[in-house]
Amino acid sequence: MIEKYAEIIGEDELDSIVKIAEKLKGVSVLHVNSTPSGGGVAEILSKLVPLMRELGIETDWKVIRGDKDFFTVTKSFHNSLQNGFGELPKGAFEIYNKWQEINGNELDLDYDIIFIHDPQPAGLIKFRKKGKWIWRCHIDISNPYEPVWNFLKQYVQQYDSIIISSPVFGRDDLIKPQYIVPPSIDPLSIKNRPIPEITVRRILYKFDVDPDRPIITQVSRFDRAKDPLGVIKTYKLVKRHTDVQLVYVGSPASDDPEGEIVYNETVQAAGSDKDIKLLMLPPNSDLEINAFQRGATIVMQKSIKEGFGLTVSEALWKEKPVIGGNTGGIPLQVINNVTGYLVTTPEEAAHYTLYLLRNTNIRERLGKNGKEHVRKNFLITRELRDYLMVASLTGSQQTPT
Amino acid sequence: MISKELLDKPAQKPFEFEAAYYPPKYAGIKAYTVDELISGIKRVDGLSIFYHIFHPLFSSHVIPEDMHNDFAVWIRDEIHDSRLAQIISDIEGKEPRTVEDVREDLLKILTENKVSGRASRPFYFVSCNPVIFKTGKVARNLGELIDIIATISMRSIAYHFIFKRVMGYTTKNDFSIWIEENYGLKELADSLSSIDPQTYTDEEKLREDLIRKIEEVIFS
Repeated sequence: MIEKYAEIIGEDELDSIVKIAEKLKGVSVLHVNSTPSGGGVAEILSKLVPLMRELGIETDWKVIRGDKDFFTVTKSFHNSLQNGFGELPKGAFEIYNKWQEINGNELDLDYDIIFIHDPQPAGLIKFRKKGKWIWRCHIDISNPYEPVWNFLKQYVQQYDSIIISSPVFGRDDLIKPQYIVPPSIDPLSIKNRPIPEITVRRILYKFDVDPDRPIITQVSRFDRAKDPLGVIKTYKLVKRHTDVQLVYVGSPASDDPEGEIVYNETVQAAGSDKDIKLLMLPPNSDLEINAFQRGATIVMQKSIKEGFGLTVSEALWKEKPVIGGNTGGIPLQVINNVTGYLVTTPEEAAHYTLYLLRNTNIRERLGKNGKEHVRKNFLITRELRDYLMVASLTGSQQTPT
Repeated sequence: MISKELLDKPAQKPFEFEAAYYPPKYAGIKAYTVDELISGIKRVDGLSIFYHIFHPLFSSHVIPEDMHNDFAVWIRDEIHDSRLAQIISDIEGKEPRTVEDVREDLLKILTENKVSGRASRPFYFVSCNPVIFKTGKVARNLGELIDIIATISMRSIAYHFIFKRVMGYTTKNDFSIWIEENYGLKELADSLSSIDPQTYTDEEKLREDLIRKIEEVIFS
């Protein structure tokens, strides 16, 4: 499987991964997270674990268990760490600790290197028997709700190293190394692999989108952080000058009660304009998302607050210029006038959208740069290499010969 | 002109090509103003200076082509002072300078050209740890060294040509040291040493210039 990536990243890069993996020969590695499927962490582990094994590293993946109360608590942790405020269920810390105890006693944690993913299993560090422990934090912890962070920090401080997704998420109150490993996309997945033009057109037709007219696309939940109203306003500002369609591709989130309210607000803002398509696709609509991104003239990710925003990399990989909100991990992906434009207001977004709609050659240049930027920085092979390096560095320090 | 015989003459000690990646880590310091940037530059380790000044060339953080390092980009885009950004962009990184010399220059320039203004996005200081590995490629003579430089990953060239020297592990780049020690070709060694890697934003252009310098001496 791993050799299939050589065509994309080049033999040198793949060879480097093999060489770095050799440093971990004979080392046992364990990944622990809280779900076997669904969500970005499970998705990345389902790819990384087989690749690590293919490289000859003895790698296992274990999932903690918990009851409804536990996952309600960890969900409240997740939200309050990212949003800076929160309401915790009664007895949250006790419930959390109880399930760390249960999992700590049930799971075999006898490995040389252990990656613990996200806050849910972070307390397992109490049950360390041996080896080096790495806490991989996939979320934004730069502005957390202090009571939750202080509770979690007592565990995080015990790890040998920490992985964050962007320097923007770095914390000044941690002593241990905070390695920066951005997330990644898999170029061979259905969401990102090349698909025939006819598939793109067929899917656009299916949703009543005209593939022969310019299209602005945003793929994200109906969430205020993604600024759907700002996207509608941007479209309306652009529409005064030129013919264009807007496709906003979202998916229903059962765990987000605000989603429906935001969706209704967006519908109201869109009014009766037939060139605005507000779509709710079921989860795992990977082929459709691929088609909407490839069918777009310009992709927008006009977030006001964002974790990393991998939809940006997905679009760049398809050679689309991206107009992105200047927040979270988006500036790592959207580089002004290189891969797209960073904006904060609908007026700025409209300005650059119009500029790009008028200039095919600029779109093409940014699109090509974008693909190259993702190829070098945001593919799964880079994330694999980074994990190997962090494991190697955490295991032992090196100095040049 | 260097003879074919010399190109094929076995070296006393083969050149073993290594390569390195530099996984970044947050240095725990951020700056919103030039004063805070100065304070951060004083506090960070040498690897952080390496990361922000030399690493953009061969790493994958794309920076705009007209700016040579991370500090310059931030000063231009966040402090909105193009003149200072240009001066910082063109800071000298040629042999025998190390990251400590560069740090000194940065501090001098920033102190002498103090500008006000507060960034909306801070400068995040990042450091790194090298992960070094053997590439398996070995040059046994000068001809092979040239062939490998022309084709090997830039990660390897950067490690031998930039990293070890700017971090102070050697006083010259590894290629010049090897050429001089094994063949006594001081002119060629000095010619390579004259390249300032800090002023490149395209790693392949650096490779082209290395090869061009070698050709100039060999065919002169």
